[in-house]
Amino acid sequence: MTTAIDPTLHTAALAALEAGVNRALNLAPQSKPGLARLEDCVFALHCTAPTLDVYLHPNAEGIRLAGTHQGTVTTSIKGEASDFTELATSSDPTATLINGNLELDGDSAPLVALQRVLATLDIDWEAPLVSTLGDVAGHQVAQILRHTFSWGKQASKGLTRQIEEFIHEEARLSPPRLEVEDFYRDLQELGLRVDRMQSRAERLRLRLQSLQG
Amino acid sequence: MSDKETTHFGYKEVEKDAKAGMVADVFHSVAARYDLMNDLMSGGIHRIWKRFTIELSGVRKKNAVLDIAGGTGDLAARFAALVGPEGRVVLADINDSMLQVGRDKLLDQGQQGNIEFVQADAQFLPFPDDSFDCVTIAFGLRNVTDINMALRSMLRVLKPGGRLLVLEFSKPQNALLSKAYDTYSFRVLPVMGRLVTNDSESYQYLAESIRKHPDQNTLKDMMEDAGFCQCEYHNMTGGVVALHRGVKA
Repeated sequence: MTTAIDPTLHTAALAALEAGVNRALNLAPQSKPGLARLEDCVFALHCTAPTLDVYLHPNAEGIRLAGTHQGTVTTSIKGEASDFTELATSSDPTATLINGNLELDGDSAPLVALQRVLATLDIDWEAPLVSTLGDVAGHQVAQILRHTFSWGKQASKGLTRQIEEFIHEEARLSPPRLEVEDFYRDLQELGLRVDRMQSRAERLRLRLQSLQG
Repeated sequence: MSDKETTHFGYKEVEKDAKAGMVADVFHSVAARYDLMNDLMSGGIHRIWKRFTIELSGVRKKNAVLDIAGGTGDLAARFAALVGPEGRVVLADINDSMLQVGRDKLLDQGQQGNIEFVQADAQFLPFPDDSFDCVTIAFGLRNVTDINMALRSMLRVLKPGGRLLVLEFSKPQNALLSKAYDTYSFRVLPVMGRLVTNDSESYQYLAESIRKHPDQNTLKDMMEDAGFCQCEYHNMTGGVVALHRGVKA
């Protein structure tokens, strides 16, 4: 057995996840050419907490998920679920792969390409709404949704900035980033000076010893 | 008393020569509503079992796959997508009614070009030696008259390194589940069969044939005796179904 859980549960969970991912990909048709270019690649994700193995097979139609794979894989990554989430949402996947806790084996370029395709999904809600509600109502609802999402994004950005400002500047609960960086620079300088002083003291001690001797 | 060799048909002992015809009658009777009954009986879980079979098959582009007792073509359709236009999938079934339903369904779905439909008996496969990369038989082996002969026939048509996958009902590993499963098989299934296909006897046979089928370890031993190596099995849904895999050396 490849996993401790019953293959029925494992396979059912992957089937549901695959259906969801492919539904999202169908609403973002611009992602398809990127996936088609990765058609011959197999990505192995070995999650250690919770324990789960997933194999991703991209193709022109979407992504096939499997719990087992017979054969070689293009890229294999191992880590905890939080590390995978960090990679999936990262704006700079290469830096995340280098600096993060994920263990990578194989070719990282196709993995970065896959991450870019998934992270930049631009889902077009209008098509399914129009086919369900009709041209006029579907378009109106899609417009409302677009405005709501765009307003939500702006509001979230603004709120994050204001909270940051309040914490750093108004309430002084935590120092701003620049102050912290200054502090660390000073600390580093102090460390260097202490090291220099220690070596001077050592030199003086050796000279005194030679004079006494 | 006849001195002819006998085998089981459900709980009945029948002459070996008669079993294939009796099984054929069962499937002629249920062919039209086979998919619907599968979904109803298993609550759709049979799709998950088949999906796991496909995962374990290791089938890839350009492979040749034989799906024996392929029925309405669930596995064949997925294999056809995996092997691509340069691959080959053969959907074989001994029963012409099932084969016709499967062929119509796949052609209606636009599946063509790399799928062939062959009426064939699993014991006497009409293919040259070393023809396929993978052979599958899903919920069909228990209906075969001589399982050992069928396993040897499958080994013959596999290429060296090729895999046989047998998806079949098996023995639940938990006593409580086993009890519940028995009640379901012998009380609920025949009623469901009568309501949907107007044929309770076929589903009574289904329940009985499952009980007569070899359990997980026995089937694994039979595969090894037939000449397969690296034999293993995976229990699914607590052992209600098991997927056996063997490799031709």
